[in-house]
Amino acid sequence: MAEGNVQGPSEVPDELKDTVTLTTLEKMIEAMGDLLSPVVSPIANAARSNSVWPLTFGTSCCAIEMMSVGMSKFDISRFGSEVFRATPRQADMIITAGTITRKMAPALITLYEQLPEPKYVIAMGACTVTGGMFNDSYSVVQGVDRIIPVDIYLPGCPPRPEGILDALLKLQQKIRTESYAERKKKKYRQNAVRYVDYDTGRPLEDLVDEARYETALALDPLKSLQESK
Amino acid sequence: MATDTEVDLTPRLKTDEMLINMGPQHPATHGVLRLILTLDGEIVRHTEPILGHLHRAQEWQGQNRTWFQYQALIDRVDYLSGMFTSWAMARAAEVVDGCEVPERAEYLRVMVSEMNRITSHLLWLGTYLIDLGAMFGFPFYPFREREKLLELFEEIAGQRMMFNYIRIGGVMRNPKDAWLSKLKKFTEEFPDRVDEYEAIVTENPIFLKRTKGVGILRKELGMDYGITGPSIRASGVNIDLRRTKPYSVYPKLKFDVPVNDRDGDTFDRYIFRIREMRQSNEIIKQCLDMLPQGEISGKKQIAGLRVKAGEGFAAVESPRGTLGCYIISNGSDRAYRIKWRNPSFCNLSILPELLKNHPIADVMAIFGSIDVILPDVDR
Amino acid sequence: MSETPAAKPPEEPKGPGLCGQFLKDHGIATTRLPDSCGVETIEIDGAHLEAAMKLLRGSSEIKLDYLVAVSGVDSADTFDSVYQLWSYSNNNELIIKVRVKKTDVVEGQLPLVPSLSRFWSAANWHERETYDLVGIRYYGHPYLRRILNVWDWDGHPLRRDYKQLVDALNDKAPGSFR
Repeated sequence: MAEGNVQGPSEVPDELKDTVTLTTLEKMIEAMGDLLSPVVSPIANAARSNSVWPLTFGTSCCAIEMMSVGMSKFDISRFGSEVFRATPRQADMIITAGTITRKMAPALITLYEQLPEPKYVIAMGACTVTGGMFNDSYSVVQGVDRIIPVDIYLPGCPPRPEGILDALLKLQQKIRTESYAERKKKKYRQNAVRYVDYDTGRPLEDLVDEARYETALALDPLKSLQESK
Repeated sequence: MATDTEVDLTPRLKTDEMLINMGPQHPATHGVLRLILTLDGEIVRHTEPILGHLHRAQEWQGQNRTWFQYQALIDRVDYLSGMFTSWAMARAAEVVDGCEVPERAEYLRVMVSEMNRITSHLLWLGTYLIDLGAMFGFPFYPFREREKLLELFEEIAGQRMMFNYIRIGGVMRNPKDAWLSKLKKFTEEFPDRVDEYEAIVTENPIFLKRTKGVGILRKELGMDYGITGPSIRASGVNIDLRRTKPYSVYPKLKFDVPVNDRDGDTFDRYIFRIREMRQSNEIIKQCLDMLPQGEISGKKQIAGLRVKAGEGFAAVESPRGTLGCYIISNGSDRAYRIKWRNPSFCNLSILPELLKNHPIADVMAIFGSIDVILPDVDR
Repeated sequence: MSETPAAKPPEEPKGPGLCGQFLKDHGIATTRLPDSCGVETIEIDGAHLEAAMKLLRGSSEIKLDYLVAVSGVDSADTFDSVYQLWSYSNNNELIIKVRVKKTDVVEGQLPLVPSLSRFWSAANWHERETYDLVGIRYYGHPYLRRILNVWDWDGHPLRRDYKQLVDALNDKAPGSFR
């Protein structure tokens, strides 16, 4: 693919270069360009969709159902996803099993950014979809899509193991139908939606705004006061 | 001139301590615990656990939800033994309210919570073996029985894990005869299954090498930290609320509380949990034989459920220890203050003492053996 | 929600219970409160807390050697630190309350209660938790730092006047549920 097509956010940023690994197959598709992509892409997608390796990321109740789905009764290995990897560098998707709190959010963001592209997220359980039963707790992030992009929403508290299998099949369908070249053109975001500070549990953008305001106030008290009025 | 014996053999190399961060995302911490380990070579000198990565404000929810709403939430305090958290709050509210619980409801409570104790220990057994390195092979066995029990739970409560079955004043549904006979069938075959696990694990030389003599918990130290449950019974303290502060219909049932006669190590804690599973199975059998007919709830289960004004503390013996609930009620439809006394929270506080001077390879063996559930720690 | 627990009908004054009498014999004054569900409840001055706990824990006949929980309560006009004491070996139970009047708390500071964690390890984490959630400062605690919330969290969530922080992580569209 010509370099001109790829611009803006779809370019891998420098600080993330070491976290992004493209497979040889993808590099091949890229080299062959738009012409052969419709032919090769489905084959590559079919291969990829049948071996989606999840990260062992479980915070609470849903993690137990995620364990159950790996065991003999439900047996996620029928769909090629039994290889739970302990490190994000070897995984393809995160199943955010369990409530994400303000204290846990920075860790999840780091894990998400360490996943190699292409990466997928299944928001599992009511807590990570909307905040669920804890939807007014002071310490719970009300929906994981406020911090990382989500592909599949899987409600339930906790969802049954069959639900996880269903979500996985939906994700496989999504992987199969998309074209890698298209995905690149869509300027898919590499990074998290917003960052959270570990020490204060607040979004980083708020803290930056606050610091800017305070600096301005210290430099020129009168002017800032007038502006705020 | 110095002879060989007088030569100073102290090492001249200066060693530095090293800080290692473990978690919050770690496959073996059973959730999201962060440990900051100070290592001298391979030996752990100091541990600082950092909690709260799963702090979901359960106590705050207790003040802001009505009793009826909150009953559905508390299964999430300890998701592996939801029956016990429901029971602890139901008991505390009943003590404050003074309402009667029908006998059939008490028998059903004992039955389902002993079933829940078995599922909890089964899951602990599977994951503990994973922690010790038995990757994906052994855990299939305990999960097989666990699924059978979860099916029974689903039939009676409508959910596999979050039951909301034990309510203030009684239980929610009456089991059908078919359910009881299914449970009876399970109790008959379960001891054989435990034999199966023991055949694989108990005399396995690798397992013995990893667990014998590791993480010895002294009795006095455990009592100083307020440890409860199988962990302290394996160290020789006889505290099992089912016997020492009897509640419900436990006085009518025949069972022994096994207590160790020495300071327990990791292996003892394993073997006491196995014994508890067999014991729970016996209790379920007795309950099935003794189950009386009658009402199942002494309080109307309506959305405007109220608890009389007053304060009280009640506790039940959960798979992890004393699970207590301290309630202050002002007679309205919400609690004024609910405080949870979680066994995992108290048991975890001893971790820095247990890990001291153990190699880092034993960290997971010791941490797994005290059976901590993170939402129970963080609430 | 914010109204205080309804006042109980006045009970006839009782003499000190088992533990109250024991403490009185050793020269520590206590006030008996209404029993909470049959368990003896006493109020004690913060200054005598540590001595009383040492006596109760060490004596052979009372032997309250199991500290079940330390809870903080934001009551109507006091901050209470409530200690549940049990015994590993017998059936004694006791609830001790240390009350700090809200009017005695200096503006902008936290109520002060002595820490037990120097001679009773079980109190350590419970006190940190109470400090975190209710905002009672236990003086003499070796490591009084927030335990459940993030370290630089503002406010103490179980206080009655706590206002929840609203930002991009938990704001709701107007008219949504709740």
